[in-house]
Order: sequence, then C-alpha cells, then structure tokens
Amino acid sequence: MANIAEARIKREFKEVVKSEEVAKCHIKVELVNDTFTELRGEIAGPPDTPYEGGNFILEIKIPDTYPFNPPKVKFVTKIWHPNISSVTGAICLDILKDQWAAAMTLRTVLLSLQALLAAAEPDDPQDAVVAKQYKENPKIFQDTAKHWTHVYAGGPNRTPELDAKVAQLSGMGFDANKVRVALSSHSWDAERATEYLIS
Amino acid sequence: MAAEGDKFVYDPERNYDDATLAQIRVMENEIASQNNIVSERLSMQNLKDEYADADDVFKLKIKDLESRYHYMRRTRGDGNCFYRAFGFACLEMFLADSKNLPRFKDVAQKSRDELVSLGFPQFTIEDFHESFMDVIEKIEKQCSVTELSDIFNNQGLSDYIVVYLRLLVSGYLQKEAEFFVNFIEGERTVKEFCNQEVEPMGKESDHIHIIALTSTLGIPVRVEYMDRVDSSKCTQHNFPEDSQPSIVLLYRPGHYDILYSR
Repeated sequence: MANIAEARIKREFKEVVKSEEVAKCHIKVELVNDTFTELRGEIAGPPDTPYEGGNFILEIKIPDTYPFNPPKVKFVTKIWHPNISSVTGAICLDILKDQWAAAMTLRTVLLSLQALLAAAEPDDPQDAVVAKQYKENPKIFQDTAKHWTHVYAGGPNRTPELDAKVAQLSGMGFDANKVRVALSSHSWDAERATEYLIS
Repeated sequence: MAAEGDKFVYDPERNYDDATLAQIRVMENEIASQNNIVSERLSMQNLKDEYADADDVFKLKIKDLESRYHYMRRTRGDGNCFYRAFGFACLEMFLADSKNLPRFKDVAQKSRDELVSLGFPQFTIEDFHESFMDVIEKIEKQCSVTELSDIFNNQGLSDYIVVYLRLLVSGYLQKEAEFFVNFIEGERTVKEFCNQEVEPMGKESDHIHIIALTSTLGIPVRVEYMDRVDSSKCTQHNFPEDSQPSIVLLYRPGHYDILYSR
C-alpha cells in the first residue's frame, strides 16, 4: 500500500473513532487486518425511515491511490433500497464515483451513506426493481424495506404479514432468502413469486 | 466482452461501475507510463515536431509562438494539467524572483482558515495545506529547479499540490458565489459546480477555474490559445485582463502546458 494512502487512513481511523457520531453509536469503523487496506464500516439506519433501528455493515476497501481515488464501499448487510443492489450490495452514490474529492474522508462517506438511506435517489438507481417499486408503490416499498431491516439488520420493527408469507413459501421447500427476494420483487404476490421461484 | 451484434444482457451479479472504474484506471496508468507529470524544459522544436504533418493553421501558429517563446514544459494530460502547469510555473517564477513570495506565502497561509470556515473538513484541509506550505518553504530556501521538478514528478506530492489548488478554486468560487453563479452552465448552484467540476481530481479546467485561481492567489497568468481558429497568430488572453503576467500557459483544446518567454 502506498505510503500516502496508509498514513491518511491511519489518521482518518482515529478521526472517526473519536468523532461525535461514534459516541452516539451512529457510525463506526474497524480494522479487518493490520494493513489498513480493508476496513469494516457500520452505520445505523436513520430514524423515521424503514431502516430505523437496523445496523448495516459495510465492506470498505482502500485503493493504493487513496485519497485521490475513492474507497470501494459495498453493503455486506442485505438491504432493500433503490440505490443499493439487493443482490450484491453495490452502491450508487456520486461521491463514491466521479464526485469523490481528496478532501473527503471515511467519515464523509459513512455520513453520506446514512443520508442516502434517509433520502433515496430513485432516478439514479442501482437496483432497478427496487427503484420501480419505490416510485410506483411506496407503501409496499416501505414495508419491504422494513422487513429486510428486521431480518438482516436486526431492526426492531416487525412486519408480521410479510413474515407469514415468507414462512408459507419457505415451508414449500424454497430457501428463505430466495423466497424473500421473489416476494419482494413481485409486490408480495405469493402466486407470482412462486412462479418466479419455479422458473 | 460481448461480440458485436450480441444483445446486451444485464447481469445483476456483475458490478458495471467497478468495471468502468477499472477501465478508467487502466487508461490512467497508460497515460502515466508514457509521460512525466511535468517535463524538462523543451525547445520549441519539440512542439514543431509534434505538428510536422499538421495543416498550415497550426504551422503558422507555432511559428508565431516560436518568435515569442524560447522553451516549453509539457504536462501530463490527466485532467489536472492546468493546476500542475500553473503551480509549477508560479513556484518556478518565485525561484527566479522572490520579490512577491512573502505576499504569496501570506495568502497561502491564511487560506486554510478560510477553507475551514466554508465548511471543508478541517482534518483533511490541514493535511493538504501543510504539504502545500512545505513546498513554499522549500522555494523560500531557494531549492533548485530540479528539486521543484522532482516534487512535481512525484505522483503523491504532485497530487497533494493539485488538491490544494483545487480547494483554493472551490473556496474562491464559493466565497464569490453571487458573482460566479451567472457563469455556471446548467441548473446548478456554485457549490454543486464545485463538488462536480472543481474538487474531484481529473476534472478539466475552464475560464472560471483560471479566474478563480489567479484571483485568489493574486498571480496573473497569460494563456496562448492554439486552436483551429483561422488566424496566423495564437489568441492571447490575460487573467485578469489588465495585468502583465509573467507566467504563460499554452492552451490547446483540452490541455495546458507551460511556455517561457524569450
């Protein structure tokens, strides 16, 4: 790892660790190994959103050319959000691409991701299925996002109706995660979801 | 890669952004392996050679440049060329004549707090500011041109300087937002423009960037425009207009190099 990148990450690491948001448990960053090339981030789902109460883990990879190029960040925790792939966790956020600036830090990134959870950009989607639902059926989107937050991110808000639908199809022998994706992508229509799972 | 005529099939497991970024990195490395970030002084013959097969418009313009300029320095075409050309030419000028250096150092010193007050993160501003001041101190101690050239050809140090100059441009545009908002294309605020077109590395510079950098540092610059416009001479433009700049940059669409007067 280039000296500049390493020195910078070491300083940033301290900055995030002692920041106010950490004290309030809103964001967190940890070392994965002792090389500072890979970090593990954590953000709390913002209040008054379907992600409230959830805890989302991020994989952060630092390129040799950091801070002149952005860190590579993706969600490890599965999440239902128009700008985050429900399959890979890849993120569509301008500052992680062509609007990254060297004056930004890991703290900027984590706070921007938190802001993205609070305000999606459905017109610049990463996950087209989620974005379509967000725009055309906001109620179903909200419930689905809440459901995913509860299941994958430990959020406290249950969605009993949706849980029941997942349990019903899983009982037929399908993998629960696949059932959840199928139902989520088909407006929780059990019949269409089943068709999708069989095909 | 799909063969021509194949229908594009979206693969949700694949990260297309990563693939695009990876390709951009490959192109950057290709450019980097071919040229120095800032070259040695080259005679004008070097420019002539480049246009040996070009049409008369360019040949006449090179002749015009040759009559007024002795040497040039090329900069790498990585989108940061304006900042590197300006930064290098400016510091090299102070090595030759340090009369205005104390004023320049003072402006640079004060810029840190101004940027922090505009809302830039203090932690990173300090980092870039510190390394910028280090270079100015080397100039104060009359380092050699070779040392300056070594700094600018060290990718990390060189990029640190570019970042700080970009921050200075962003800071000035935001401070004078009321004025500059009239010159920004698209429905964008000055802050959005700075986030998109100034602060990220590799974003090319336009008049507005030049005006901001020369104004905030108080260092005038002349730009010689060598383009397809049908004329036997390059068009000159001073920033600001009524100044007598001692730094001259050569502009060819999309790129800036440094020129040295006869």
